[in-house]
Amino acid sequence: MPDPSARSTLDTMAKGSPAAEAATPPRKGTFDQEKYLRFYEQMVHIREFEEICEPAFRAGNHGIGGYLHLYSGEEAIAVGIIGAMDLPKGDCFIGHYRDHAYALAAGSDPGQVMAEICGKATGCSKGKGGSMHICDAERGFYGGYGIVGGNVPIALGLGWSIKYRGGDQVCACFFGDGSMNQGGFHEALNMAQLYKVPVLFVLENNGYAMGTSIERSHANTDLASRVESYNMKHDTIDGQNIFTVHERVQEIIAGMRKDPHPFFLECKTYRYHGHGAADTQVTQATYRTKEEIEKWRTQRDPILIAEKILMEAGALSQADRDRIHAEAKDAAKAALKFADDSPNPSPDELLKDVYA
Amino acid sequence: MAKIRYTDALTLALQEEMDRDESVFIIGEEVGQYLGTLQVTKGFLEKYGKNRVVDTPISEVGIIGTGIGAAMAGLRPVCEMMRMDFALPAYDQIAQHAAKIRYMFGGQFKVPMVIRGPSGVVNQLSAQHSQALEALFCHCPGLKVVVPATPADAKGLLKSAIRDDNPVVVLEALKIQFQKVDWWEEIQEGLSEVPDDPDFYPELGKAKVLREGTDVTLVGYSTMTTTNLRAAKLLEKDGISAEVVDLRTLLPLDMATPLASIKKTHRAVVVQEQWGLYGCAAEISAQIAERAFYDLDAPVQRVTGAFVPMPYSRALETLAYPNENDVVAAAKRTLYGK
Repeated sequence: MPDPSARSTLDTMAKGSPAAEAATPPRKGTFDQEKYLRFYEQMVHIREFEEICEPAFRAGNHGIGGYLHLYSGEEAIAVGIIGAMDLPKGDCFIGHYRDHAYALAAGSDPGQVMAEICGKATGCSKGKGGSMHICDAERGFYGGYGIVGGNVPIALGLGWSIKYRGGDQVCACFFGDGSMNQGGFHEALNMAQLYKVPVLFVLENNGYAMGTSIERSHANTDLASRVESYNMKHDTIDGQNIFTVHERVQEIIAGMRKDPHPFFLECKTYRYHGHGAADTQVTQATYRTKEEIEKWRTQRDPILIAEKILMEAGALSQADRDRIHAEAKDAAKAALKFADDSPNPSPDELLKDVYA
Repeated sequence: MAKIRYTDALTLALQEEMDRDESVFIIGEEVGQYLGTLQVTKGFLEKYGKNRVVDTPISEVGIIGTGIGAAMAGLRPVCEMMRMDFALPAYDQIAQHAAKIRYMFGGQFKVPMVIRGPSGVVNQLSAQHSQALEALFCHCPGLKVVVPATPADAKGLLKSAIRDDNPVVVLEALKIQFQKVDWWEEIQEGLSEVPDDPDFYPELGKAKVLREGTDVTLVGYSTMTTTNLRAAKLLEKDGISAEVVDLRTLLPLDMATPLASIKKTHRAVVVQEQWGLYGCAAEISAQIAERAFYDLDAPVQRVTGAFVPMPYSRALETLAYPNENDVVAAAKRTLYGK
């Protein structure tokens, strides 16, 4: 068995990465308190949503089966980036199988998202897709995809359609570090730069492709530098700090609107749960330590970081904090109840929606 | 009604649809500046510009991905594969994404795209460029698979594919694509005739009887339909009247037309270009057996290619795919050597 302590994303961060510099984030100047409070609230709601999925999966009586990939620990990325997009104006985004948070960050109804995870008729995909295939066409969410890297070439097409129509919208494409070792990823990035399509490629670098660390899977572990071969603009940021994520993405998007081009943004982050529900504490022990998870949970948690900044700025009181957490817990429970109370898809749905 | 070649029919279809609908664009390798590997898009770049005739790197995954995303966003991409063999690197995008997006997202999205290119067994292109891959696409719910056999269908069905709201794979018959009008007319009078009407776009999923007969039904598609028509002529000389059914599309599959024919002839030969094992002819034969068993006077016969990668040498290649004599022999087997 490999020694999981032989590597650590935390150690990598300690060596002067942007994430390390932001470890204790001071907040200077003013900021839009209302907006960031909203982001904070969204992150807490997403966290509670994900945290109720886990026991519901284990309980086995909610209709949740198959795969279940949870976003806990990575919330600042979905919220900060989707929060920087103008969805009514036609900005859009596409994700992968760890996808509940994208819909929730865009304002999709949590009940419908949970109902999809539970395979119910009221689910956003009518119970036909499940946890990995959440979507919301109305809000520009082109869906979560189950094949690693499979959504990246499709994002190129979404960006192409914007260019084709001469619009100034942008498309965000979320993927993980594992996607960067798929061939199609590189075809898509080369073409995106060649055609200057307005796609923001968002790397959620959580350090592991399932159980394989970056060190064991990338010949060049400076992942953002890999896109330099495509002459693509790129940046690497602390994905745990909502302020860092949102402000940087606002700048990037403004630039993309003015002069359409792709951009590669690496967000350093961490997932608290296993790769999927089948990646238990036993299997996780083959590739990472409990201490590593604990360090991230206590020192680098996006909700705690936001909380600290908001409280120091006087934008969030302890009472508000407690209220928000209680409301989020209730909302997650309500979503699960909605799913539980919803009917299964009727048999006549089986053959519908194969063709338009 | 103009008499034209199959390849010119393809060009006309693309041109008419691009003229009609600004959301249609072509993307692929060498489609623009090079004028198309087979010149199907000759002059298109000049006429429609770089936005609608998109030259790409040799990146099939990127080409199909662009098509899927653009289609989901409301455009009507036509993705050209230089050969359909080259679709295989992008098979994940086609089979796992394009085909499934509508269903797995509960009908929230449409993927109105066309994936088209030359296909089939062709003179001495050997193992990696001479093969009929339709079964791979037919195994994907969510795709439509179109296999035109005549100039009229090359035009009409390609237009239907572009207008369809689903991902449609159009397998063009390279072996007969550049045959001259006379070649078609020799097989059957009027076979190269193509309607002029720009709104001629037949419904996908309707087979057609191309030659009427009473003794045996020859079922086929693409190049093999022309082989079947020639076989029917040979059979006629032996006093056997063969009916030729051209399937035209494999997905959706119209079995009503061949079954109606078999009800009349009581005998069936199903012909496909390549690999019989688990091939389209197997599915069609099984459906005939299930649905028309009591109409049959003889077991259904399949005529297929040899189960080998296509050999290069002409001496071997000709043994590896069916010709009209193979069809004649199979038809006679259903007539017990009559």
